[in-house]
Amino acid sequence: MIRENNFFKLGRDALILALSVSLVLFVQWIKLLKNSKSTPITTDTFIGLGLLWLFSLLGIIISMLMKRMPWKIVQGFPILGWVSIVSLIFCLISSYCVRVINAVDFLSLTTSVLAFAGISVTYRLKDLSKISWKMLIVALFVFFGMYFMDALISQIALNLSGK
Amino acid sequence: MKHIKNYGPLILLVLLIDLIAEMIGMQIFSLGKITVSILPLVFAVIFAILIYLIPWHPIKRLYNDKRVKFAGKYMILIMLPLMARYGANVAPNINEILSVGWVFLVHELGNLGTILFGLPVALFLGLRQEAIGSTLGLGREGELAYISEKYTLDSPEGRGVLGIYLIGTIFGSIVFSILAPLLLGMGFSYKAVAMSSGVGSSSMMTAASTALAAIVPDHSETILSFAAASQLLTSFIGTYIMYFLAVPLQKFMYIHITHLLDNKKEEYPEHD
Repeated sequence: MIRENNFFKLGRDALILALSVSLVLFVQWIKLLKNSKSTPITTDTFIGLGLLWLFSLLGIIISMLMKRMPWKIVQGFPILGWVSIVSLIFCLISSYCVRVINAVDFLSLTTSVLAFAGISVTYRLKDLSKISWKMLIVALFVFFGMYFMDALISQIALNLSGK
Repeated sequence: MKHIKNYGPLILLVLLIDLIAEMIGMQIFSLGKITVSILPLVFAVIFAILIYLIPWHPIKRLYNDKRVKFAGKYMILIMLPLMARYGANVAPNINEILSVGWVFLVHELGNLGTILFGLPVALFLGLRQEAIGSTLGLGREGELAYISEKYTLDSPEGRGVLGIYLIGTIFGSIVFSILAPLLLGMGFSYKAVAMSSGVGSSSMMTAASTALAAIVPDHSETILSFAAASQLLTSFIGTYIMYFLAVPLQKFMYIHITHLLDNKKEEYPEHD
């Protein structure tokens, strides 16, 4: 069912995921050097990183398999979502998973992702000059509008439910 | 070997950016009544761009075609462990989340805020067809796919959605990490702001929710779990909200506002 080039793709993805979790370890270490009170690096941290690597890979495999399903809603569902679901299921079943993953500092996972994001947009900076000031103003209202409406509806609904 | 030569310097560059961002660390400051927190992740974006802007030849070689493309293509993979980490945030809070499940569902209607706020402004500024692409949503992959299928990306509508996409990609994480504290300062509860952070773009959600968690550290677990749960829901039903609610609402508002502004009946462009 899975063709050979998919195995190649999976191997490459597994390597990139390994790079990603190694970067997490690096950032968590730097955080520790800067502030000795931040999340310590223990055996649990390594097991936790291993699980994050495994859940990510499982999510990729599920996403590959779902592309063959006839339903559009599962075909188009992003890999990011599958990975969250896989991890959520494991964490609901086993509190051990929650414990070891919690030994991985949350914020340490975010820095490298955004570093990659920053590098990836550099070539598009020159396209920014093509964007009019009108579009920048619209963008601000679009971002604010979405967040504000979301928060407003959430607040009203939360108040109604007495939470 | 070839790969090490290509991608080794890229990894070193990321390590350097991480190092600078983490050494600066989290910065919290107050603007009047509002507390704003800037996290290392925001510094990481900024320095990735600033280093590129250094007018020195070796830097231009460092950011070569292959490496920048690699960063763009595989950023999603680099992000997967973060998405897996959210599982451990959501699981312990699953009962609390399910107990307000209907709130999570109805708050998705807030997605229409892009049109309610953005469209009148865009039309008033004189944009017409561009306004359709730029206000349909946050201009992420879902809207990009819809607009390019309906109008192609070469059309004014396509340029509109591409503009928002570009602005969101470059400034999204910075803007959202400032918007989150702003809404908290406006009097919304941390729960409402947290669940609103799941806006459909994972990096914007992460920026908003971590900025919020830094200001309300006692509730950081709830904040991260609410944001992640609503993000998951948005990825399931966001497209349907766009298709069945956002598009009709936009059409209605577009026709009426342009009628008022231009004093003539303007057509809502449908694809041919």
